[in-house]
Amino acid sequence: MKRVVTTAATFAAAVLLVVGCTPGSNSDTGSSDSKAFEFWSFSAINQKLEVDAYEKKHPDVDVKLTEVGSTTETAQALTTALAGGKVPDLVLIQGDDLPKFMQSPENFVDLSTLGADKIKGDYLEWVMKQSVTADGEIIGIPTDVGGMAVAYRTDLFKAAGLPTDREQVSKLWPTWDALTEVGKQYVKATGKPFIDNTPTSIFFQAVNQGSERYYDADRKLSYDKNPQVKAAFDLTLKVHAAGIAAKQTSFSSGWTAGMTKGDFAVMSAPAWMLNAIRTNAPKTEGKWDIATVPGGSGNWGGSYLAIPKRAKNAKAAWDYIAEMQAPEGQLANFLTKGNLPTTPSVYTDPRLVERTDPFFSNAPVGKIYTQSVVGIKPFYIGPNDATIGTELLNTLTSVEQGKVAPDKAWDTALANVKNALRG
Amino acid sequence: MNPTSTTTNAPPRRRRGVGRVPFLVYVLLGLMVFASVFPLYWMFVVSTTDSATAYNLPPHVVPGGNFLHLANLVFTTVPFVGALVNSLAVATAVGVGQALLCALAGFAFAKLSFPGRNTLFLVVVLTMTVPAQLAVIPQYLIMSKLGWVDTLQAVIVPGLVSAFGIFWMRQHIGSTIDDELMHAARVDGATTWQIFWRVAFPLVRPAAFVLGLFGFVNAWNDFLWPFIVLKSPDRYTVQIAIKALQNSRDIDLGLAMSGSFLATLPLLVLFVFVGRRLVQGIMEGAFKG
Amino acid sequence: MLRPTAAAKATAEPTRQRRIQQGFRERLAPYAYVAPFFVLFLIFGLFPLLFTFYVSLFDWDPIGERTYVGLDNFAELAHDPRFWGALRNTFSIWVLSTVPQLLLALGMAHVLNHARLRAATLFRMSVLVPYVTSVAATTIVFAQLFDRDYGMLNWFIGLLGFEHIDFTASVFGSHIMIAVMVAWRWTGYNTLLYLASLQSVSRELYEAAAVDGASGWKQFRHITIPSLRPIIVFTVVTSTIGGLQIFTEPLLANPVGGLTCGAARQCQTLTLFLYEQGFGRFHFGYGAAVGVALFVMVVIVSAINYLLVTRIRSERP
Repeated sequence: MKRVVTTAATFAAAVLLVVGCTPGSNSDTGSSDSKAFEFWSFSAINQKLEVDAYEKKHPDVDVKLTEVGSTTETAQALTTALAGGKVPDLVLIQGDDLPKFMQSPENFVDLSTLGADKIKGDYLEWVMKQSVTADGEIIGIPTDVGGMAVAYRTDLFKAAGLPTDREQVSKLWPTWDALTEVGKQYVKATGKPFIDNTPTSIFFQAVNQGSERYYDADRKLSYDKNPQVKAAFDLTLKVHAAGIAAKQTSFSSGWTAGMTKGDFAVMSAPAWMLNAIRTNAPKTEGKWDIATVPGGSGNWGGSYLAIPKRAKNAKAAWDYIAEMQAPEGQLANFLTKGNLPTTPSVYTDPRLVERTDPFFSNAPVGKIYTQSVVGIKPFYIGPNDATIGTELLNTLTSVEQGKVAPDKAWDTALANVKNALRG
Repeated sequence: MNPTSTTTNAPPRRRRGVGRVPFLVYVLLGLMVFASVFPLYWMFVVSTTDSATAYNLPPHVVPGGNFLHLANLVFTTVPFVGALVNSLAVATAVGVGQALLCALAGFAFAKLSFPGRNTLFLVVVLTMTVPAQLAVIPQYLIMSKLGWVDTLQAVIVPGLVSAFGIFWMRQHIGSTIDDELMHAARVDGATTWQIFWRVAFPLVRPAAFVLGLFGFVNAWNDFLWPFIVLKSPDRYTVQIAIKALQNSRDIDLGLAMSGSFLATLPLLVLFVFVGRRLVQGIMEGAFKG
Repeated sequence: MLRPTAAAKATAEPTRQRRIQQGFRERLAPYAYVAPFFVLFLIFGLFPLLFTFYVSLFDWDPIGERTYVGLDNFAELAHDPRFWGALRNTFSIWVLSTVPQLLLALGMAHVLNHARLRAATLFRMSVLVPYVTSVAATTIVFAQLFDRDYGMLNWFIGLLGFEHIDFTASVFGSHIMIAVMVAWRWTGYNTLLYLASLQSVSRELYEAAAVDGASGWKQFRHITIPSLRPIIVFTVVTSTIGGLQIFTEPLLANPVGGLTCGAARQCQTLTLFLYEQGFGRFHFGYGAAVGVALFVMVVIVSAINYLLVTRIRSERP
């Protein structure tokens, strides 16, 4: 007995000694080893693929990648780190989360000091605008945009007597109402749900197709007054009333299972979603195809790379950005993962234009997504966008779950947003 | 226990049920064991098949053959071995630290009289009402001032504070060590430290060991604070690694369950060896509490 | 088990000076012994707590500005339906998890208390298994078991001919789910506590009561319960303190919902709300105010529970 305690105590002391004397991982990077840097990304976008490709090309560079969690969790972790902890050298910030950070640009390196002003012109103007402050400091470099499309299951469409060719399918739904009608048809023929859910696949798509979203052109809050937001909201209620949704919340475990099991035939598919389908439902390879989204165009999603001010190795992080986010780099990313580049110069590159994806019945993904971002009317994304969007989404989810009456939904949503924006 | 000596002259028996244990009792016990163990079994089953199968109805309750594949995926998705080592280091340090510190303080409260003793003890008791989550924000700021963010000591050191542990040790020392013993030792000229280390502590070592076990288990399972303060994958404890698994592939259930199972396994193994002590510890504590 | 040799060895004719030194050290000793705990507690326990009170008086953005607002945060809290919702959730989950758990533990202890029970230790160990499992792991498992479309529980419900229940979407359903998770973890632990106390109840009392004609139930009410009073008090108070602070289960049970545990905050407890405001929205001041409210509540409810339970009186049949 005594021996157990003594050995345990010695062991613990030894452990503490080792642990205490081990330098924190942040001292592994920095000036002692200027080729290593720390990179925080969100998960489920297979960031590892790009990091590995970069390390292969630069064997002397060590990229410490951490996939923190969802986009929101990554933004939260970043804020906590900026508040007084260890910051990464490079961080990926989702477009809806960026405006909040833009309010305190002093927390980030002005990338124009590292050379960003020279490459600024490579990127879509409306995307770049979001990451440049009023004083002209460049805070982030855009990595990709989502575009918009609808992914559908060809086998399930066939069983329901619907066409499977993507041109024909795209013609089936030029408007959201038409999509709803197709949905009703499908449900009647098969008795199973048509679309995965309405909050994400209807509301988040429709609301992102407008010319203004939650802020107006003067950058003032307008979510409650903007008729486009209300229209998207009402549309969602209408689709919900049609009873064609599987009611699986996006990114939940039931949703990922549903993809494999064919619980729904249709889901929203911005470019980055394709990768999710591929990883979550590998057994459904070849059973999907991609059609245009009702309304033709729109953009959901897109992220930026930024460098926190206190980064130990800003230079190494910048080298990564400069290379991987150059037009060639983004094109390479597109060819491996399917993320839509933000560098319009590659939109006409034959490798992109002729790109097809076998998982999705050889759909010409390059063409489909570049076409979906042509002609969009970009809107301003403000600091509280993420919060407002979440509250609206949650209210619509509650409607879908039968917890909020549709006729009370809009008022409930406004009240929820107001609550969330307190303080 | 002699079933024939039922005369009133026999010392009072302490348990009921002299005769055979009814079958019903075993049935009920079987249910209890089933309820306690089934979720773990289910965790194991899912970690041996895959998500798609887990989402089958009727449920597939027999283990499949996918364990190695998923386990391998666990080890390659997050640095799981490192996480196991980190958890082991943290839990051991906390267990041992708590046992020693609480024995020390418990001894002082139980056997030494000094001004302010009762007030200080009351403070100790009051701290048990404070939820740990309250202090999380300022604690993080303290850690960043100390430069301890993303280090294991940030998780270990706050974990050494256990008001319950002091309560427990004070209880045990109070009831195990006679005042006479103390007095005799003093007469022999022993210093307080000697009394503690050579007299009191050996006597309550079993209780201290159990306290250390509890500290170990709690530290192993701790989630919130490590989640906030540990950021690099090579610093993750095993619980954070599970959450990272949950995130890694849009909630791949098979992967998450596999990681969960692997994270629970070490404790289960430990439990096989020291479970009896834990049980005894809880029951003795109740007795004297 | 005195070890006279050690004591004698250390004390061979101390000189007067040494005696003074020792006296001084002796007087300091108790403080030195409790010092490690208190120093750590001061830095990592008390100071953060006091700092929270301080922060709650501000509108504190960690990477932005902070302005003093006095008691405004508390005024806001009083009008915030999310706060009251979280309060309701916390109480509901606490009652749903604690009451059945303690009753069940009492019953299970009764069953385990058979004199000639075979493999008693094995049974006792198996009821403690939930206690040692990882909270994160078991939350994931239970969340899946409660899944609306594919969970085992709903499969049973479907077999019985009823419609599947969407546990995470309904307020009561999500509370049940969380309560089951919590109760599953702690029932075994409390069972052992009760079992130990049961075993110390003297057989004579029961025999005397039986002779007087008291039924089993009467014996239970008038002998067992009063004898268990101290341990019941202990378990009620600790379950209260723990139950009002439930955090990990609501956080992990509904990972898609972020920090709200449900699209309409169905199972968001006060602690989770605190975390959401502090680390989700980075309203440190507001989050701190929630913390203060939670602290007050825990103290009050624990005190009430303590008073109530200590009033269990011993009665003789």
